[in-house]
Amino acid sequence: MAIETGLIALGSGLAIGLSAIAAAVAEKEIGVAAVGAMAEKEELFGKGLILTVIPETLVIFGLVVAILILNLAK
Amino acid sequence: MLKPQEMSSVIITGSKNMQETVIRELHSMKILHIVEHSKNWIADIGMPLENAPRLSEILVRIRALSAALGIRDNKTKLEVKSISEIDSTAKKIAEGLGIYTDELKKIDEFFSKSQALRNELEILKGIDIPLESFANYRNLAYFTGFIKIKDMDSLKKELQKTTQKFMLFESTEGSRAFIALFIDIKNKENANGILQKLNFSGINFSGIQGQKGTAAQNLKKLEQESSRLLKRKDEIGKKIEKLAEEHKSFLIASNEFLGGQLEKAEAPLKFASTPSSFLIKGWIPSNDLDKSIDRLNKAAKNRIFVHFEPAKKQDKVPVKLKNPAYAKPFEFFLDLYSIPSYREIDPTFFIFLTFPIFFGIMLGDVGYGAASLAAFLLLRRKIPKAKNFFNILILASFVTVLFGFLFGEFFGYEFMHPTISREHEMFRLLYLSIAIGVIHVNLGLALGFINELKSHGFMHAVYAKASWIVLELGIALLALTYFRIILISPFIGAAFLGLSILMLLKGEGVKGLIELPSILTNVMSYARLMAIGLSSVILAVIVNEQAGEFFHRGGFFVLIGILILAIGHAINIMLGLLGSFLHSLRLHYVEFFSKFFHGGAKKYQPFGAKDE
Repeated sequence: MAIETGLIALGSGLAIGLSAIAAAVAEKEIGVAAVGAMAEKEELFGKGLILTVIPETLVIFGLVVAILILNLAK
Repeated sequence: MLKPQEMSSVIITGSKNMQETVIRELHSMKILHIVEHSKNWIADIGMPLENAPRLSEILVRIRALSAALGIRDNKTKLEVKSISEIDSTAKKIAEGLGIYTDELKKIDEFFSKSQALRNELEILKGIDIPLESFANYRNLAYFTGFIKIKDMDSLKKELQKTTQKFMLFESTEGSRAFIALFIDIKNKENANGILQKLNFSGINFSGIQGQKGTAAQNLKKLEQESSRLLKRKDEIGKKIEKLAEEHKSFLIASNEFLGGQLEKAEAPLKFASTPSSFLIKGWIPSNDLDKSIDRLNKAAKNRIFVHFEPAKKQDKVPVKLKNPAYAKPFEFFLDLYSIPSYREIDPTFFIFLTFPIFFGIMLGDVGYGAASLAAFLLLRRKIPKAKNFFNILILASFVTVLFGFLFGEFFGYEFMHPTISREHEMFRLLYLSIAIGVIHVNLGLALGFINELKSHGFMHAVYAKASWIVLELGIALLALTYFRIILISPFIGAAFLGLSILMLLKGEGVKGLIELPSILTNVMSYARLMAIGLSSVILAVIVNEQAGEFFHRGGFFVLIGILILAIGHAINIMLGLLGSFLHSLRLHYVEFFSKFFHGGAKKYQPFGAKDE
């Protein structure tokens, strides 16, 4: 395997991995607050759930970028 | 559909002596959503009816009994009608239960008390002298405690040097020996000195006082008593269970009946009231208005006054969503989020259209869809309470099967030639997802336009919502000229862009400008339709490949292959269901709703109707 291909794979992995870490950190904070709020008021489940998954978009962007990078290898 | 049930504001007023009749009639009609009155300078809130304290007292007792008997169900066919009957039966049950609980308490007390005695007897059981020997003597002293076994001989020698008048009892326990030393009181100090030198650790026995016979005998007696009481405890537990079984229906029915009675008795707390009159404000669906007022007047023999009028613009109207039966389950998503206000569009129908499609694209596998369809059909029968939720999932699973045929997937295996392959044509699917995003977001903007049109007029709707569409046009024109697909000056696109920004600034102020990039991220967010699906497919393919290797080896390995298939796909279905559900929901709540939805209305809850 050529070194270029390896670098492309590495870049693509970094794109998804780092964005996943970012999403995880963001979701952790929101999740903590959401669970806290839900303990006080159960009706907030819906809003809490939605707020918690909002940063998930970061991973999706990461994945799109990763696929775009992988496409360079073809 | 699209609009909630039309409501009319109703005011009922009359003299105090009609109050109870009106309450009884309203409670059985289950039609009026009462608006709670708050105390002001004209009228105070009403007083509960006379029987309210007694009702709540009995209700508390019934609930305490239900809790003590561990009754959790809430369904019964039995009906109880008389309060005094409930009261007397509840007392009888409480008496029967009281005897058992008292006895249980005594048994528990015995166990906690006898624990100390048991510990002492355990230590003493190796020493064969009656327990009454450990008393106070005039010319005898005794020591009890532990020393090391290897020091026993030197202890005996030392003692014999001082006196012959002693008795030493011993029992060994590991490397220690328990000793009971009885010695002439004159030699108490000497003995003490010797024992201290040998690192003697003394123990005081306080629990055994008054006991007769040897420790071993006492211990045996204690064990017998304990096992008898344990058996008795089991018996009582069974008797309580029997009692619970016997009175279950009665307690559930009483709880329900009393709850209803108490609701009636406490209703005046929501009314406006003067010393001699009452006034009830509320809302009734306009369809039922005439019928309801007739019924009320008849019940009160025309001795009350009822005023009604359609909802005014500034009124906070309780909202009863009105949707056809097929879209009704999707109201669940609004309950979870927020009820749309009276004058805005009810998006339930649009969720019904798009939610299953998004879900289907993400899960998109004939096998997964069929498996989840079967599971949800089964669960719907098992848990009728969550019927709406499962109806949504059943529809979504069905659409999943349809998309499975489009993608040609069966448990990740390409069983037919796909119209569009999720595994190999990522980019086609990505573009498709973004296109769906553009359509969905613009649908949201269009709904937003209608909402603004109704609430703030045409110009504001143009500035606040149509501006976004102009913005999209500008971006699209710029992109098309950049890629030389159409040959016009890029300034035309830029002009559209500038125009939209000005419109937004007028419509939404600076907040609108900050939101500008959101249109792009919103649309990009629909890439998850492809992304979630892709990850689900790839996982399925990996599971299949792993299992395939084992199948090739043959023999015993086939079993392992089957196991991998079963566990792998089960996990992937769970992940897929959770992901598809949440992300589809999120696309609605975040990307779609943010374009038009305000919400925050109160749900229509008629007086007398049970919470679902």
